[in-house]
Amino acid sequence: MTAGTSAGPALSRGLRPSAGPQQAGPGGRTRKSLRTDGPAGYFFLSPWILGMLLLTLGPMLASLYLSFTDYNLFTAPEWVGLQNYVDMFADQRWRQSVLVTLTYVVISAPLKLAVALAVAMLLARPRRSQGFYRSAFYAPSLIGASVSIAITWRALFSDDAAVDRVLTALGFPSGGWVGDPSRALMILVLLAVWQFGAPMVIFLAGLKQIPRELYEAAECDGAGPWRKFWSITLPTLSPVIFFNVLMETIGAFQAFTSAFVVSSGNGLGGPAGSTLFYTLYLYERGFQDFRMGYASAMAWMLLLAVGLVTAVLFRTSRSWVFYNDGSS
Amino acid sequence: MTTRVRSVVWHVAALAILVVLLYPVAWTIGASFTPSRDIVGNLELFPATPTGANYARAAEGIAGVSIWSFFRNSVVLAVLSVIGTVASSAMAGYAFARLRFRGRGLMFTMMIGTLLLPFHVMIIPQYIIFQRAGLIDTFVPLLIGKFLATEAFFVFLIVQFMRTLPRELDEAATIDGCGHLRLFWNIILPLSRPALITVSIFTFIWTWNDFLGPLLYLNSPENYPLPIALQAFIDQTTTSDYGAMIAMSLLALIPVLLFFLAFQRYLVEGVATSGMKG
Amino acid sequence: MLNGERHRSRLLAALACAAVLLLTACGGSGGGDGGDGGPVELRYSWWGNADRAALMQQAIAIFEADHPDIKITPNFSDFAEYWQKLNTESAGGGTPDVLQMDFSYLREYGDRGLLLDLDKSENPVPVNDLLPGLQQAGVVDGQRFAVALSGNTWGLIYDPAAFQTAGVSVPERWTWEEYGAAITKVAQTSGMAGAWDYTSIMGVFEIWLRQQGKALFTEDGRIEATPADLERFWQQGVDLRAAGAFPPQDKVAQALPVTVMGADLAASTVNLDSMVTRYAGESDREFALGALPSSNPADLGIRLRPGILLSAFSGTDHPRQAAQLIDFMVNDPRVGEIFGGNRGLPASNAQRAAATPKLSATDAAVAEYEKTIAQQLTVPSALPPAGVGTADSAFLRINEEMAYGRISVQDAAAQWFSETEAALR
Repeated sequence: MTAGTSAGPALSRGLRPSAGPQQAGPGGRTRKSLRTDGPAGYFFLSPWILGMLLLTLGPMLASLYLSFTDYNLFTAPEWVGLQNYVDMFADQRWRQSVLVTLTYVVISAPLKLAVALAVAMLLARPRRSQGFYRSAFYAPSLIGASVSIAITWRALFSDDAAVDRVLTALGFPSGGWVGDPSRALMILVLLAVWQFGAPMVIFLAGLKQIPRELYEAAECDGAGPWRKFWSITLPTLSPVIFFNVLMETIGAFQAFTSAFVVSSGNGLGGPAGSTLFYTLYLYERGFQDFRMGYASAMAWMLLLAVGLVTAVLFRTSRSWVFYNDGSS
Repeated sequence: MTTRVRSVVWHVAALAILVVLLYPVAWTIGASFTPSRDIVGNLELFPATPTGANYARAAEGIAGVSIWSFFRNSVVLAVLSVIGTVASSAMAGYAFARLRFRGRGLMFTMMIGTLLLPFHVMIIPQYIIFQRAGLIDTFVPLLIGKFLATEAFFVFLIVQFMRTLPRELDEAATIDGCGHLRLFWNIILPLSRPALITVSIFTFIWTWNDFLGPLLYLNSPENYPLPIALQAFIDQTTTSDYGAMIAMSLLALIPVLLFFLAFQRYLVEGVATSGMKG
Repeated sequence: MLNGERHRSRLLAALACAAVLLLTACGGSGGGDGGDGGPVELRYSWWGNADRAALMQQAIAIFEADHPDIKITPNFSDFAEYWQKLNTESAGGGTPDVLQMDFSYLREYGDRGLLLDLDKSENPVPVNDLLPGLQQAGVVDGQRFAVALSGNTWGLIYDPAAFQTAGVSVPERWTWEEYGAAITKVAQTSGMAGAWDYTSIMGVFEIWLRQQGKALFTEDGRIEATPADLERFWQQGVDLRAAGAFPPQDKVAQALPVTVMGADLAASTVNLDSMVTRYAGESDREFALGALPSSNPADLGIRLRPGILLSAFSGTDHPRQAAQLIDFMVNDPRVGEIFGGNRGLPASNAQRAAATPKLSATDAAVAEYEKTIAQQLTVPSALPPAGVGTADSAFLRINEEMAYGRISVQDAAAQWFSETEAALR
């Protein structure tokens, strides 16, 4: 908070990188250098710090507290210790939601990223018609997951509708997917993949950031397209790849809206619970069954699980993500 | 292969993917011209008896509030969100990516931590904050977070991009006697343009499509943005007008599409072309 | 209860405020208006579609003209979103002054001190003009937490043409066995399933029990039925499904958000009579209403049920004006005339009379049906226990698992009992 209030003097005094060459290089991450940009750091971070303190930290702590209580939304929460966490493991529907979510994460995140990267590569090279293609490929992602898209998506995967017809023509009669518990989740996977625009745009922006000279230099050395991809594109793009992998994974763990609008009918996450995402069940417990304590415990359990995955990703990133700023 | 053949192959491949990709969009457009009652359960791409009635009903507005009011609210929310998010996230991103100060690691971890908690359990505590502050039925609860960089997604995105910029830039600028503000404004921001454009596009679209925030924080129909208005055509206890809803949702897409068209071309001009002019 | 509510509020607020020291408004109260002499502002929330909102706008205009000292801020959304918003608002102390209430959630809200006792307000809302079966509908443990503005009941909704094609005549009343045989025959001869799986609805189970002199819930809100009862009920469904009387479950799931009847997948259904409005909106078929099957010809086991209720927030700054608005919406004939059957058949005689000329053919058929069974509808509906919403959706969901053949009748019944016992606490 002091950083925000002392912004005035900081502007005149401190907002100058005091980092000399001795600290800016690869070896700059030493203890004593940590203080160097202090005032400037807090100044630039002040909106974020304010947001964290005003809007995020309190609610997060409140939900952590509620996870140890029995809270029906309307009357005082009652402390129950770890009961909610214990109950989860005996809850059949909770286990089902974990299974559905893990399946979804494992299939949808890699598939979406692969498609996004492939299309971004396809569109990266300057071409005259590129603006058109970029917009067209992005179009599905403009729509979001609304009731309109739910109606469309259900219609495509019904009996004798477009998907069924194409598959039947190819010799794979599939029937409708919407009412089939063993296939309904795939509809949501395909919806996620169809809306690959966000990671695609991020990949595109990353590809555009790669200095042309690197490729030119490699071409001088006689490198083919494959070598250029492996030794220039991938390493230079790695911070962006890392970002997309992390965000799509976290996003898939928290997927909610698609199942909420597309596949919920006779209860959330239908048919027969086959699309019961973790957050969907959390919502059902918290807002429909008035068990916000349990829902909060579920949320923190998810935070722990996804936090673990994130930590592992960050740890491995040290060996495959290359930053230009000298650190890795 | 000659370049020409290669180019043709490229276009054929891209168009083939596009046909598959845009089929659902085409179906939705077809549905908007289908009589409302026939839409659900209809399997065909083209309506048997096309009608413009859905658009006519959508254009009537809802409960005496005109459709323009919904558009205006959506535009105001989206534009202010873009401004707030880009400004605050760029600042935070710069601090995390390029500056060194005590507590940076901890704060960065906290930021990533905010991404991990499902937002549903934050709804009630956050509502309480804004309720106590007397800000219900204003745009403040929907906007203040954008100006305070609460969307870690965007901060982290900018961090990742800024970290790819060569360190030597800072050094060169420092030797020139550049302060942090000038370094940020004159060098880092221009070079981060692809990232900032990306953030703008996403913020605009996601705000435009946001349903839950406006649902919880806005009460008066005059304040509703489009997603809330769309939902008003549906009610499971009585009758639902899917035709008008789809028609209005397609109309609602036009501004987002225009926004994307206007901004996507700036994605092209990254470091590679606009270069190291610094 | 109110104390508890405030206590909870303070606890959460303290947690939030701990981080919000800068926000000076945090210490302030939610404060009301009205002190400045201007018109009093009432927030009024309801669920419903754009049509209802347009009609509501007209009604509000009349009310505001009658009461220049009151200004209404309307708010409306779809049923599901309505509850999400209302739950959040109520948890945060921002419940609207006047709100639409559903019978299933009345206890949830009433028991927890969120609703105003309308009998104790300065000017109690008169209910003497309401249909006898609805006069006590909003009373929870002696406190009037809501007033019904419309009513409905259970019935058999069917497509006469489908039965005629199948050569099955519809008698004045069926037993469940006869009905089962009839819908099986319809399915076999007409190609359309005979009925939507009525064993998926908890309300029908409750009626089925009542026809046998049993009850689903005890008066103190526990389950009175036994797993054996539910197994018998669900076995009926499993047998009828095996006989082809019901549409395949994957088709039912695929048709959503359109109902089975609306998607022309079945010839009949046992459901709330007001649902026929929705079916008629979804399908081109003509529907008729009849008495639902009963194993006891003297007693259909049905009650007049409040369709929509109105409540006021216990913490409202303007209890008098809130009661005035509720009175107006429930009793004023002008409101009945504006809405016709949009909110269901009006609960008050005055509004019912005013609405009659404005009823659609479908709504008129519902009114006619309720008239023919009027002698069955004198007993008021018992107030469902808190947690009934959860029990209801669990019933539908577990039945669906059974329809997909993923769970046996015994396991299904056991699962519903364990989930419902937990929900009723």
